[in-house]
Amino acid sequence: MLDQFTEGFAMAMRFDTMALMSVGLFAGMLVGSLPGFTTLMAMAILLPISFFLDPIVGIPFLLGIYKGGIFGGSVPAILISMPGTGAAVATSRDGYKLTQKGKSRKALDIALFSSVFGDTASDIFTIMMIFPIAFLVMQFGPPELFAVLLMSLVIIAATSGANPLKSLIMMMLGLWLSFIGTDPLGGVERFTFGLFELKSGIPLLPMLIGVFALPEVANVIIRNEKGKKLAALVGERLSRVEFRRCLPTICRSTAIGAGVGMVPGLGQIVAAMMGYSAAKNASKHPETFGEGEIEGVAAAEAANNAVNGPTMVPLLTLGIPGDNVTAILLGAFVAQGLRPGPELFEQQGATVFAILVAMVIANLLFLVIGYLSIPMFSRLVTIKTSILIPVVIMFAFAGTYVFRSDINDLMILVAFGIFGIIAKAARFDVMPMVMGFILGPSMEYAFGQTVAMSQGNPLGFFFTDRIGALCVLLSTPIIGYLLWKRLYSSPVAA
Amino acid sequence: MFKDFAKKSLAALAVTGAAIASFAAPAQAEFPEKPVTMVIPLGAGGSHDLNARVITSIIPSYLNQAMIVQLSPGAGGQKGTHEVARAPADGYTLLFTHNYIDMLQQHVENLPYDPLEDFVTVARVNYAPIAVAVRADSPYQTMDELIAASKENPGGIQMAHSGNWGALFVPAAQMMQALDMQWNLVPYPGGGPALQALLSGDADVTMGFPSSLSSHLDAGTVRVLATAGEERIYEGVPTFAEVGVEGDVGFMHRVVLAPKGTPEEALTKLSEAFKKLEEDSTFNRMMGRLGENINIISGDEYDKMRAEQSKAYEVLVDELTSQ
Repeated sequence: MLDQFTEGFAMAMRFDTMALMSVGLFAGMLVGSLPGFTTLMAMAILLPISFFLDPIVGIPFLLGIYKGGIFGGSVPAILISMPGTGAAVATSRDGYKLTQKGKSRKALDIALFSSVFGDTASDIFTIMMIFPIAFLVMQFGPPELFAVLLMSLVIIAATSGANPLKSLIMMMLGLWLSFIGTDPLGGVERFTFGLFELKSGIPLLPMLIGVFALPEVANVIIRNEKGKKLAALVGERLSRVEFRRCLPTICRSTAIGAGVGMVPGLGQIVAAMMGYSAAKNASKHPETFGEGEIEGVAAAEAANNAVNGPTMVPLLTLGIPGDNVTAILLGAFVAQGLRPGPELFEQQGATVFAILVAMVIANLLFLVIGYLSIPMFSRLVTIKTSILIPVVIMFAFAGTYVFRSDINDLMILVAFGIFGIIAKAARFDVMPMVMGFILGPSMEYAFGQTVAMSQGNPLGFFFTDRIGALCVLLSTPIIGYLLWKRLYSSPVAA
Repeated sequence: MFKDFAKKSLAALAVTGAAIASFAAPAQAEFPEKPVTMVIPLGAGGSHDLNARVITSIIPSYLNQAMIVQLSPGAGGQKGTHEVARAPADGYTLLFTHNYIDMLQQHVENLPYDPLEDFVTVARVNYAPIAVAVRADSPYQTMDELIAASKENPGGIQMAHSGNWGALFVPAAQMMQALDMQWNLVPYPGGGPALQALLSGDADVTMGFPSSLSSHLDAGTVRVLATAGEERIYEGVPTFAEVGVEGDVGFMHRVVLAPKGTPEEALTKLSEAFKKLEEDSTFNRMMGRLGENINIISGDEYDKMRAEQSKAYEVLVDELTSQ
């Protein structure tokens, strides 16, 4: 194993690998930063290029797009409160507040550093622990996934605002919205009013842009500050002292992200929210979270990137992709004649280690590429609002449309924009709604699977076969109550 | 500055555009004059996506035009199918689908299109035969043992599949129907998670295509008990026909469809281009790596198969839903 690793390490040290990986990183960052263009699309479109490249060049190229894209997604989230993916929602919470305070460069810097740190640490952890992780992954079935998802939702509701009732109402609304469309298990239409357009459900992107970006646009327009700028300055770069202050948070989030990555089906969104909640809970001044706390950005970004390493494990050891991104990577592997699965390490160990080492190198390259690109991005907010706001509105509508070229999505965008403005005025936080909407379908699916597995007797099934999942389910309300109590010891309305 | 950024993006767009245009041969009056779009009603990274990426990277040399993949997942494949049904019938919009989306769903739901009336086949590209798989340490050594156990304990065997009315569910249902037995069918979000459920012990049996099972067969973690069709695929493993399941059961046909009314000239051009893929060495090599076969069937011939599939699925759905 060690000689395979050293051989792989040597294989990864190639100029063309580095060069194409850098191209991938930069391209991924640009694509990821444009709302509506997803990293997944970029990877799918560029996949055929990797067919014709050497495996040690082609696969790192795709990995570069992926890694660059994740960071790219947090750029509009921080600068114009427009998270393009669920994973960037937690980042935009404090990131955009920092931008408004004129500290956008600091926010982007800490996002970059914590992303790279979280990703690198989880990659190294994965390389060292690949077989134990593979064993752990197998312990999670639908009942466990259901229990963990329910707990995630409760933690999000408990930590997101002083009034848990409002959070729960919004979360229920999100869950209900996720029910619209075809029932994923039975194939029955729900709440579609017979409209074919609603049959595939409400798409996520218009909702994200609608509830997060449009209310901020409205806010600027209502204040009517035409000649002003969104932020007078981009601020200074991140100082070493600030980074050191965030370090415990980054480490905690990395551990959380890596843990979440091991549960098939959870992913970056849960990791970012959990990392954020944990940082808020551990902080001596939780009230600064949501008001422009650098640690908040660090917590979310380190956690969602730390997911990457462990999610590669089922792909490499079983040949089973855990999500769409790993599915595309699986395609790239097989097209290269590498068949991920139980025998991959025996037959192609050196190549696999070369790819894993390339993942680590990609992170380091990205540190440089990202650091040099941030000044270019951060200047965006210093444009006069009379110019910037129309551009943001254009991005919102164009981004929503290019996502799947469906004109109905624009109406959904506007509807959620209006909803977001009302919710903001009524002091309802939209975050629990979005999280309920994103996690609802997975949770419902896992619940349906559990019921099917138990052959109609889920209660007995939990008691006899799935004690672990049962324990998580029973402890969930207690954890939720304790978290809420600790953060908001003197409950006041809103 | 933002302007620079915009300029850069525009430049990137222009380069992409030029790249696409460079595929095009000198202006011709005949079809195709512009790139052809192939809509996939399924998500990124699935087997259709991968097959399509290979097809579209090779076919421009025979079509003299680029072919662009457009993923349009949603509503179990109905969203993308509906889009193509509504698209102009000029040969520039095609649908890359499979028989379960194409012919089965009409019997389960009310569709906003009529698959037999609204589409014609350009070509069938290939097919994938399904295999019944159990874990290596499973007590069931042969298909007969599994069948006997399933009859003895109706619903006691947990079968993991990739979603209701999907590529693993339908053969399982057809098998249960033909052999008069009962499995407990548990859905998973895709064939990969279903296989993982088998490996982790949550399920007793699943189904899978050779391309996704091969590495596990080599490693000896999974055992195949039967494969679809009449010809044996693995040595010593009986076919569906041998265990008593006859007919077009367990084959996923990957087909390219066009809206009905597409001009004859365009259809011929397109199906000729697909036919030529069969001879292309790069195409063969890459599909071989994906673990897929190449078996082009012309449009007319496959249209007859579609009509038969429709009838068979209608009977199946009637029986399953009347219980």
